[in-house]
Amino acid sequence: MIRSIFYSLFLGLIIAAVLMFLVAFPFGQNKMGVGQYYLDNTVKETGASNVVTAVTLEYRGFDTLGEMTVLFAAATGVSLIFYLSDEEKKKKKRENNRTKANFVVRVGSRIIFPFVILFGIYIILHGHLTPGGGFQGGAVIASGVLMLYLANPDIQIGRNKLLVTEGLAGLTYVLIGLAGLFTPAKSFLANFLPLGTPGFILSAGILLPLYIAVGVKVGSEFSGIIDDLFSTIDENGGEE
Amino acid sequence: MRIISGYVLLYLGAFFLLVSSIGLVRLPDVYTRMQAATKSTTLGVFFSVIGVGVLNPSWLVKCIVVAFFILLTAPISGSALLRASYKAHSPISSQTTIDKTKEFSENEDGEK
Repeated sequence: MIRSIFYSLFLGLIIAAVLMFLVAFPFGQNKMGVGQYYLDNTVKETGASNVVTAVTLEYRGFDTLGEMTVLFAAATGVSLIFYLSDEEKKKKKRENNRTKANFVVRVGSRIIFPFVILFGIYIILHGHLTPGGGFQGGAVIASGVLMLYLANPDIQIGRNKLLVTEGLAGLTYVLIGLAGLFTPAKSFLANFLPLGTPGFILSAGILLPLYIAVGVKVGSEFSGIIDDLFSTIDENGGEE
Repeated sequence: MRIISGYVLLYLGAFFLLVSSIGLVRLPDVYTRMQAATKSTTLGVFFSVIGVGVLNPSWLVKCIVVAFFILLTAPISGSALLRASYKAHSPISSQTTIDKTKEFSENEDGEK
């Protein structure tokens, strides 16, 4: 009883303190200098017309490397629980004998799949020009793979190929970053390529190759997660 | 002339969407409702998008692409949903007299 009163008093104190500081800010005015700085100088400094991409890859490129590591850890965690070798997966699939999707879905998914992949690639390549980028495009590509898996139970993407692709993409990101150390800027992830004209696809220096690496990595990682999850589905699970 | 035909297409699309929404409320079971939600909605959206393209010719190519993808995907998702609801034994309206899926499902099992 006393403890809960103490807790609620403590919580009230924290809320009051937060509110006190919030009141000190004038409402509706921009007190943060950083946001305005990005808006004013991004195009000039990085050549990217998409400010969000410039912030994620140029000003905070190191954070993005951390994000990719988090994603990698998540994918590894899924693999730890669900991993089966490709032969075991095939065997398990034969045992499960999942119901086929109907003819329309099977054929339709094959027709739509290339368009989904094309759209994903478009989003990745235009990451520095329009909203979108590596993470979003990679997720779109993985959703295409998910569609294939849903429509065709027999399909199987080689897990090892995905792992190699993912590793190479991550390595590319780090190598591009390390290359920055040998340029006049002498810093990790320095933008050493020519900036070009903002608004063109070959602009913004290293942002394009970095986002391609991110897109490939995210796409193969998500596809791997989908593959792991699908191959261990037990159709009769829960009812037995 | 272009403006008129564009508006005719838009209103045609709106009409089909209205019909499908009435059908969604009024029809008795999942299967007939899906027919309203798939067939006439596809046609309604198709006419609306093409109408927008006719009204604004600079968007026409994009609108045709959008209409193509709607024509491609809406029937596929409709058929998948219907099949899933049939497999889940969703109740069929008592007014329905013909069940072709039952006749053909034996063949499908033989194929598998």
